[in-house]
Amino acid sequence: MSEATLRVEGVTKAFGSVVALNAVSVEFLPGEVHAVLGENGAGKSTLMNVLGGFLTPDEGTVSYRGEALPLGQAAEMRQRGFAMVHQHFMLVPNFTVGENLALDALQDLRGRLAQPDLIASALERAKSLGWSIDVDDRTDDLPVGTQQRIEILKALAGPSDVIIFDEPTAVLVPSEVEELLGLLRRLAEEGRIVILIAHKLSEILAVADRITVLRRGRVVAQTTQMEANAAQIAEWMVGDVPAPQSPLQEALGEKAVRVKDLVVSGDRGEPAVRGISFEIRSGEVLGIGGVDGNGQTELAEAVAGIRSRKGGDIVTPNGVAFIPPDRQRAGLALSLSVEDNLWSGPVQRRQGLVLNRKRLWNWSRGVVQDYEIKVGNLSDPVRSLSGGNQQKVVVGRELSESPGLLVVVNPTRGLDVRATEFVHRRILDAARAGAAVLLISTDSDELAALAHRILYLSRGELRDSLVGATA
Amino acid sequence: MTRILVTAGALALALVVTLALFGLPVFESLSTIARGSLGSEASIARTLARTAPLLLTGLGILIAWRAGMFNIGGEGQYVVGGLCGAWAAMVFQGQSSAVITLVVLLSGVAGGALYAGLAAVLQVTRGVQVVISTILLNFIALALLKWAVAGPLRDPSSTRPQSSALPDAVMFLRPNPQTDFHTGIVLAFLAVIVVFVFLRFTATGFRLKWVGANPVAAHTQRMKVGRLQVTAMLWSGGLCGLAAAISYLGLARRLDASFTENWGFLAIPVALLGGLDPIGTLVAALYFGALFAGCEALARETSVGTSAVFVIQAVAVLVVVGLGRLQLQSSRPESKPAGGAE
Repeated sequence: MSEATLRVEGVTKAFGSVVALNAVSVEFLPGEVHAVLGENGAGKSTLMNVLGGFLTPDEGTVSYRGEALPLGQAAEMRQRGFAMVHQHFMLVPNFTVGENLALDALQDLRGRLAQPDLIASALERAKSLGWSIDVDDRTDDLPVGTQQRIEILKALAGPSDVIIFDEPTAVLVPSEVEELLGLLRRLAEEGRIVILIAHKLSEILAVADRITVLRRGRVVAQTTQMEANAAQIAEWMVGDVPAPQSPLQEALGEKAVRVKDLVVSGDRGEPAVRGISFEIRSGEVLGIGGVDGNGQTELAEAVAGIRSRKGGDIVTPNGVAFIPPDRQRAGLALSLSVEDNLWSGPVQRRQGLVLNRKRLWNWSRGVVQDYEIKVGNLSDPVRSLSGGNQQKVVVGRELSESPGLLVVVNPTRGLDVRATEFVHRRILDAARAGAAVLLISTDSDELAALAHRILYLSRGELRDSLVGATA
Repeated sequence: MTRILVTAGALALALVVTLALFGLPVFESLSTIARGSLGSEASIARTLARTAPLLLTGLGILIAWRAGMFNIGGEGQYVVGGLCGAWAAMVFQGQSSAVITLVVLLSGVAGGALYAGLAAVLQVTRGVQVVISTILLNFIALALLKWAVAGPLRDPSSTRPQSSALPDAVMFLRPNPQTDFHTGIVLAFLAVIVVFVFLRFTATGFRLKWVGANPVAAHTQRMKVGRLQVTAMLWSGGLCGLAAAISYLGLARRLDASFTENWGFLAIPVALLGGLDPIGTLVAALYFGALFAGCEALARETSVGTSAVFVIQAVAVLVVVGLGRLQLQSSRPESKPAGGAE
């Protein structure tokens, strides 16, 4: 065993009553790409935040080269060579590339600050990787893949013996993924410890020397590339899952939704949806897959009638329910009570002038029961609920009166297996009750489990297959 | 419950500390304040008369703030409400006094509402934040007041720049002319019920709360966010304008450059201390109304004027806001890291 080993021993971290990490022990070896796998909520991000110095564990130690590390002190950890490439890039969007790189290299504010000096080492790295970077580009104008490169350069410019990638492939198209995986290999071959968090098995099997699987905060298995077996790993990740529901094969109803030549603009006026046509029958689940940021949100909002369209036609039945992709941003008012968050459903559907508080109260009690929402008191703020229960509030509000059309975007993002299964069942129930369902998801398993038909969205256009869509 | 106790404690503490800092004998001063605010029929009447404008402007502020419209322009809306009232009184001169009273009230409401509505429309259609525009509109309103009482509204028979005095018949009834109590004060208290019912039992009130809590989600719920924001500001300005009309018809009788007495500014801490809730605002307005009345008595006996009230109010707000922040932090210590665990 090498001296430059990173040892995590018996690390436990709880948030309130939720134990995110439970006596986790792992060893990371230099020269290896080590993948940490697990479902949402398995504790991957918590473990990485401990290694990045962002969290202090309740118990346990982490040592590197035989020395205990200053956990919970991000700047100190960075000095010791721990670098992290975050899933949500830590870039200042309205800075130039040069300014972002300089900001990261900045030690303090004393002395003369010269951007060229500060970013020299990052640019050198870029050159050696064969990346052409224009330091004067504004960061938020750049494609995601390039932004990620800047994030990686930030990590490599300083000491970076241990480099952690948090879901780096989630935002990339397949060709970029391949290149990134090549880079990971190269970084490991230079003698670094490379830690990769991911949930896509195929990518991991292609690159990882060693694999650790987390489930509910515990290490459930460890394996190496040689011994790895996709089916076995999937089982470790998921544990005992309720059997997935398969879509109904019953006869579908009439055509309920017609979308023709739809053109929609994004928030900054850029063309987001470019001439899409499709139909959905009543009782049918149309799945739309593809990488995030290819027009999904705009398409969903246009069909749900929330975003105005630039061209084309949309015909929808009465009663459109919408489950937005980001519940905290667009689904809930976090500071309001569970009650208020449910009530907006019927209040908006009926459009009366006066609130019948008693009826609303009884109704929301019913929803809480039907949807098994775990809440102490209906007047508690919805913020105090767990992510899964928050999502159930949105789903319950939208589905409790059978809609004619249901538009759903990534309805189970961030949910555990059980909550996911529950939400899936509710979506299928709505379809069975006659709703046309437009399911937009980046999760191919979800699409396979629910959709009758799957199309793919790529740069605002629909394709028949993902391969064709992204090549 | 703890919130109320904490707030009450903070207010009492602020009062004692401020008196001590002013170098006043704390217990004697407290008893003077108590006598001046609650000690006699006249004191109680004075408390209620000071409470009424605080209450109405406070209610106005809370409706706007609930909807996420940070209206800092209560003062300007109060002034414009008063100006419109005085102008209406001039235009309707010669009509029966009941008609004039009613028209002055309605003009006050309309003036305040439109002045706030202007700021709201600028935000909704042009992206000018009300938090900025209403501050600036305050200055315009104050300048307008100075100009109007020296110009178009000026009483020709007076040597000072002020509007003509309203005849007694137009003014609100004062059952006992020895005290400040007038029937307009009742309107202010009725407004609490109206606002309470509006926020709690109407769909629009419910939607205002949503728009204030998360406008993106409100839009996703197909609420007409812009229209609701304008509605909230119309209510807000309308209540501030009503406060002015009631002051005008209650005690002021005429407008001059000092008509405002800062009620529109004082309304913000009142609404905040009241937790942006109508009942809480009622309690806060009563407390500060009593404090103003009490400190007027204090001013008669000592060199400290009502300026102590402003200091007490400022200290109390800072303490309560600070405590609220602490409470918020302790109630969700895990929000950030838990997000990472998802």
